[in-house]
Amino acid sequence: MNPAKKKNFKIEPFKHKVEMDPKYAEKTWKILEDAIHEIYNHNASGLSFEELYRNAYNMVLHKYGEKLYSGVVQTMTQHLREIAKIIEGAQGGLFLEELDVKWREHNKSLQMIRDILMYMDRTFVNNFNKTPVHELGLNLWRDHIVRSPQIRDRLLNTLLDLVRRERTGEVINRGLMRNITKMLVELGTNVYQEDFERPFLDAASDFYRLESQQLIETSDCPDYLRKAEKRLNEEIERVAHYLDSKSEPKITQVVEREVIGNRMRLLVEMENSGLISMLIDDKYDDLGRMYNLFRRISTGLQTMRELMTAHLRETGRQLVMDPERLKDPVEFVQRLLDEKDKYDRIIQQSFHNDKMFQNALNSSFEYFINLNIRSPEFISLFVDDKLRKGLKGASEEDVELVLDKVMMLFRYLQEKDVFEKYYKQHLAKRLLSGRTVSDDAERSLIVKLKTECGYQFTSKLEGMFTDMKTSRDTMQGFNATGAGAEGNEGPTLTVQVLTTGSWPTQSGARCNMPTEILAMCDKFKMYYLSTHTGRRLTWQTNMGTADLKATFGDGNKHELNVSTYQMCILCLFNQADRLSYREIEQATDIPAPDLKRSLQSLACVKGKNVLRKEPMSKDISEDDTFVFNDKFSSKFYKVKISTVVAQKESEPEKQETRQKVEEDRKPQIEAAIVRIMKSRRLLDHNNIISEVTKQLQARFMPNPAVIKKRIESLIEREFLERDRMDRKLYRYLA
Amino acid sequence: MAFPRKNETVKLVSAEGFEFIIDRKAAVISNTLRNMLSSAGNFSETELGVVNFPEISTPILEKVCQYFYWFLQCSNGKKTDFHIEPEMTLELMMAANYLHT
Repeated sequence: MNPAKKKNFKIEPFKHKVEMDPKYAEKTWKILEDAIHEIYNHNASGLSFEELYRNAYNMVLHKYGEKLYSGVVQTMTQHLREIAKIIEGAQGGLFLEELDVKWREHNKSLQMIRDILMYMDRTFVNNFNKTPVHELGLNLWRDHIVRSPQIRDRLLNTLLDLVRRERTGEVINRGLMRNITKMLVELGTNVYQEDFERPFLDAASDFYRLESQQLIETSDCPDYLRKAEKRLNEEIERVAHYLDSKSEPKITQVVEREVIGNRMRLLVEMENSGLISMLIDDKYDDLGRMYNLFRRISTGLQTMRELMTAHLRETGRQLVMDPERLKDPVEFVQRLLDEKDKYDRIIQQSFHNDKMFQNALNSSFEYFINLNIRSPEFISLFVDDKLRKGLKGASEEDVELVLDKVMMLFRYLQEKDVFEKYYKQHLAKRLLSGRTVSDDAERSLIVKLKTECGYQFTSKLEGMFTDMKTSRDTMQGFNATGAGAEGNEGPTLTVQVLTTGSWPTQSGARCNMPTEILAMCDKFKMYYLSTHTGRRLTWQTNMGTADLKATFGDGNKHELNVSTYQMCILCLFNQADRLSYREIEQATDIPAPDLKRSLQSLACVKGKNVLRKEPMSKDISEDDTFVFNDKFSSKFYKVKISTVVAQKESEPEKQETRQKVEEDRKPQIEAAIVRIMKSRRLLDHNNIISEVTKQLQARFMPNPAVIKKRIESLIEREFLERDRMDRKLYRYLA
Repeated sequence: MAFPRKNETVKLVSAEGFEFIIDRKAAVISNTLRNMLSSAGNFSETELGVVNFPEISTPILEKVCQYFYWFLQCSNGKKTDFHIEPEMTLELMMAANYLHT
């Protein structure tokens, strides 16, 4: 209310009659005291608010506020003591209800008293730093009721008992619980926390410790997890229904700790039902549950991951080292792919595609795939098998799927250059024998390899494809000149011209070809060299094939598909019916191991023995004689007798390949060293090793000893020098 | 705690017995009056909607009521003057203090 403009006027004395002597104060107080009594006895109707308010107002105004305040405190305390007695007297179950009822009544009374004493609250309380009436009321309630010796423990025990009963399955009065806990909260958070929450958490902790102890001895892992989940949800629900929401994280933490945290190791390692058996049996639900529960504990997922990694590595290692499996490379790789698929699915379905688990999976695979040094070879054989016949008739998506999976395994390899070597070999065989299922699939794989490893990796492979195409064009030109076929009786020649750098190097094979063939070959050579000057052509007789029309006894005609070597051998039988091993060897000039192999396929394979061998043993010896088998018969007109299939390498071949790979690596390491030193100028030994490894690890893992040797070789050739002061430092020499 | 709402008006009675009937809306500008009328207790004021002021004289009470309405007008946008006779200033302030306005 704004006072009016200041004017000079006389302040007239009060018109009020102000009698404020102690006796009046006493009287006024009496009125108020009675009123409070009435309020507490629920007889407030009929009282005049205004009168009481005025009385309180007057008391405070005339400086009797202290008397008023202390009087209020006293009266309320007295009443509360009476109430306390009533509550204490309550029997058994009625205890809580009495408490609840009395609390509500108290609140109501308190509000009324506060309204009357509003003036005091506003002025006196603030000026003298007293507790405002409402808060005062709560504090008094707290001190005289909730914390009174008789009531306090009984209250706590009753509440805890009710919670315990509910945990064992009984139904309790949740509404009542709610009111009581609300009361505690209103009395102050520290009241709630100390008088109730802390003992509640302790009791819960004990309860769950016991329960989990029992459970873990009787149930198996999935069962236990299910129960744990149930308990956890129960507690959360409990908090929502009748506890303060701030308790939720605390109680969940307790449950997590007791039920899961302390039992983690036991659970995952449980025999026949722990993590490992769940993984083996693809128990997606159980695994998902375990993941969700363990996620709540800080080291939970880590424990799971560690165990899974250990298990994976062990199974992988067994898989890879198992001699049985190694017999069939295609099976081997397929098994690896199956394992990967299985775990991918588990991670996707149960572990929510958790990246850490994915990483664990990748690192485990990388670990054990590289345990077996033949892995690159086997993977290449797998691809070969698929591209040769496995993917026959498959749709484009299926093809892509398989190739992508292969790429994934490829990424795990540490020795990618070994893979490259084998792949080149196998691809060459496929292309030359025309056995690839789909050109598109081949190209698609090359593209994938290029994306993964760069142009360098695949340039030669692409060169091979280009050669095939060019050869086709060349053949067309050759045939067009009419020099191809010499009538029906003469042989037809198809030539593939291979660029030496792109194709896997083979030792130059020699062989004496029958004269008819030789004539054709020379014609082609002339034609080719006429169009391309400055090139040299060498016939690779170990890689060719031939189709022969043969007439057997009884007029049986068959078309035989054989290798070039075999063709040479068989043509000899045009002149003679019987030939010894040595004669054949002399006539054809084919190297011994190849000759033996060719003869073996011609004579010793059941159902395809175009030749008969004497003696009829399985192996070829140098004393054997071979006879043309008149009685040869077969269901089919076209018979395939070939030795040019890509196989698992024999020991000596393996050694040879590995040696070649090592040789190839040397210049690569040297190039890397020079590259690094050129930019760094001065570098110490350890750093060189780590930099080189980093650069080359996309292709293979270089051996530090080998790197050291390369460095020394470079020093000899004066690309680098050792620092005079520090033997471990190297300098680049321009 | 449901209490009967007296139909939108309240009665203020001065020391001499004069009755001023004003809107409830106007009355609750005074915090004291507001508490009185909506208290969660069974006070007679809440029940009947009548408040006695045995210590506030009629002219003062009258001025107080005028004040309530002036306040309402101001909150609606009209800016008028509220004139107070200087002689009643002191008593008016006492009443204002009492009524917490």
